[in-house]
Amino acid sequence: MIYLDWASTSPPDEAILQESAALAVRFFGNPSSRHGLGAEASGRLEEARARLLRSLGGGRAAELRPAQGRIVFTSGGSEADAIALLAMLRRKDTRRGPAPHIVVSAIEHSAVYEEARLLEGMGMAVSYVNPGPDGIVSPGEVASALRKDTALVAIMAVNNETGAIQPLAGIGSALREASAALGRHEPPFFHSDAVQALGKVSFDPEALGLSSAAFSAHKLRGPRGTGALWLGAKLEPLVLGGGQEEGLRPGTENLQGDWAFSLAAEKSRTSLEARRAHARELEARLMAGLSSIEGALALPLGRAAGDERYSPFILSVAFPGLSGEVLARALSDAGIAVSTGAACSSRGNKKGRRILEAMGLRPDIAFSAIRVSTGDLTGEADIDAFLEEARSAYRKLKI
Amino acid sequence: MDTVYLVKIGEILLKLGNRKEFEARLKADLKRRLEGKAARIDYRPGRIFIEARPGAEGDVEAILARVPGINGFARAYRVEKTPEAVFEAAVAVAREAASAGKRRFKAESRRSDKSFPLTSYELSRDIGAAATDALPELVVDLHTPEFIINAEIRERAFVYGDTVHGTRGLPVGSQGRGLLLLSGGIDSPVAGWLMASRGLGLDAVYYHAYPYTSQEAHDKVVSLARIVAGYTGGMNLWTVSFTEIQMRIKQLAREDLTTLMMRAAMMEAATLLAARIGANSLVTGESLGQVASQTVENLRFTGSFTDLPVFRPLIGMDKEETVGMARHIGSFETSILPYEDCCVLFSPKHPMLRADLARERKAYADIGLGPLIEEAVNKVERLPIPFQVTRP
Repeated sequence: MIYLDWASTSPPDEAILQESAALAVRFFGNPSSRHGLGAEASGRLEEARARLLRSLGGGRAAELRPAQGRIVFTSGGSEADAIALLAMLRRKDTRRGPAPHIVVSAIEHSAVYEEARLLEGMGMAVSYVNPGPDGIVSPGEVASALRKDTALVAIMAVNNETGAIQPLAGIGSALREASAALGRHEPPFFHSDAVQALGKVSFDPEALGLSSAAFSAHKLRGPRGTGALWLGAKLEPLVLGGGQEEGLRPGTENLQGDWAFSLAAEKSRTSLEARRAHARELEARLMAGLSSIEGALALPLGRAAGDERYSPFILSVAFPGLSGEVLARALSDAGIAVSTGAACSSRGNKKGRRILEAMGLRPDIAFSAIRVSTGDLTGEADIDAFLEEARSAYRKLKI
Repeated sequence: MDTVYLVKIGEILLKLGNRKEFEARLKADLKRRLEGKAARIDYRPGRIFIEARPGAEGDVEAILARVPGINGFARAYRVEKTPEAVFEAAVAVAREAASAGKRRFKAESRRSDKSFPLTSYELSRDIGAAATDALPELVVDLHTPEFIINAEIRERAFVYGDTVHGTRGLPVGSQGRGLLLLSGGIDSPVAGWLMASRGLGLDAVYYHAYPYTSQEAHDKVVSLARIVAGYTGGMNLWTVSFTEIQMRIKQLAREDLTTLMMRAAMMEAATLLAARIGANSLVTGESLGQVASQTVENLRFTGSFTDLPVFRPLIGMDKEETVGMARHIGSFETSILPYEDCCVLFSPKHPMLRADLARERKAYADIGLGPLIEEAVNKVERLPIPFQVTRP
């Protein structure tokens, strides 16, 4: 199988998985226990936490500076998002109860979008900010959605379908300005789902002015079931229990997963420049090939190879006149894995098109899109094979 | 005091000339479905008595509720033909109903053995008295009873409470075999069930347009066929690949006619397939005016591509009624699974609503689908769906 679905998940790094499994066997104590075994396990857990924090920091690969803030290990990106958003139910910004208003982009991953819809259903006002046709949410649009009583703003770092890198630094400063103009005491809590950013683009949450950011291990060759919430501000937990992870994510810690995550994050951080250069080459090859398939369109319309506004690891392509789902099926039969929209939401409903349609794409074009996403192990031959199969399937099945 | 299922057969009793044949079909059908579940099946005039194997009661009830030709059934106490034994059983029936919170009741008796010391009237009266003596909270109410205590004095005495409704109708196969056009939707399984309960044996055909339609869509149709097979007692699912035909239509037909042409091709293919498998009729889930292809003119057009009778039992139903029946037979939850059976890219934005028979038949002929349809039917794939007990 030629795997071009790295944004869904990535093949785990075997050495990392084995190292962390062995570690979990050796240091099996409960990190919360008072005895020696507990202390040993707790020591390793803190080591993993520090390593992950280091992988977020700025600086050149050779001398990483640790990021500011704290790390809360979670079961994955979705849970990290949920902790940040659901905490708004415990914000007492007014005497009347939970946070009155939040702002999210219309192109958030379901992990944020569906939580926002839930909060909306519970009576919270939610503003959904659309991106431009380029898939990018403008700082001005976000700032103009701000209200005096806005408690949270959530904008993803890199869109999982288009690869569009959102201008978080600009949004952060626009929010600070708008806050001052509204006479607020402080800007709102600023969260970012950074699942497609970590290890793919440089990402320093503190420097970007974020309050929190969500990560997932399995997107960067770590294991499933592990993620993290970076925190630069305070949150109130909604799920209570034994007080682990600052009380925000109770439950006995997953040392095996957390250790593996920290190793995978470190590895992806130190190899970032090389891998990104590789991804740029693949992106250029892919886009050049697509331009020779009559009718095929790289999305967002106008995206060119090497455009720094997009993650080179992700490219959506439309094949007008052929449903993306059908093309993905035909490619799968030819041994090539791509996806239509977000893999976890495309199972049989039309929600997978929410993001492309929010960009103002014509529904028939959005409907015909597939997502190609690359990773460390993707080679030029894989791109060539995809181009060839896509070309022939499109010619044969287009209607 | 043992228990036995007392099964009531209905419409068969009205058949004079060929009642024997109907009964034979029902017997054979019951015997096959109850294989391994029933210890004994006893056929008597107007009644069938079934002894379930221990532990198989749930399966037996699920089967009896689904066999066409059965009006209803009840779990009955089988006792000696003495008034005392009947009263004891009647009190047991009354106690079960009372513990379910029911209060108002009446008693009904039938006596085919006239040597029994009480007349039907006397027996009902005394059952009422026995029940209210034993359970003072019960009251007799002849007009709006919450439950009925039934007593039948025959070879033995049988006492039972409320009857569970059956599928009614006629035994499967007594009206020949039909071919059901099964899509993944809500309507066609219901149409199949309705026709099966009129005694039509069924096979089903599904038109698969891979890769335009997904494997999941096919799996869904197999699940629906299993549900329908729970009523028909097993069937074959025939899958005809329609990809080439669909593409040819999309390329050559005028856009507003594509759906109609597709329906016509499906009718033609179904007719060819029916001849091959010995089916004498087609069954569809069409309902008048429900979608563009189901107007009177368009039904005339698509119907003109077969010389077989086309049964459309939902033709006069509205969607709500159909959904109610789909829930009843347990197909609704499967039908609403989201795998579209027909890619929307094939659907015209403004479909032709009123086909002109001659003009559109010519348009269809011009596309020249004949050889493609023949080839598709030649390559048909058969999936036998054996009978198995299903419970909604």
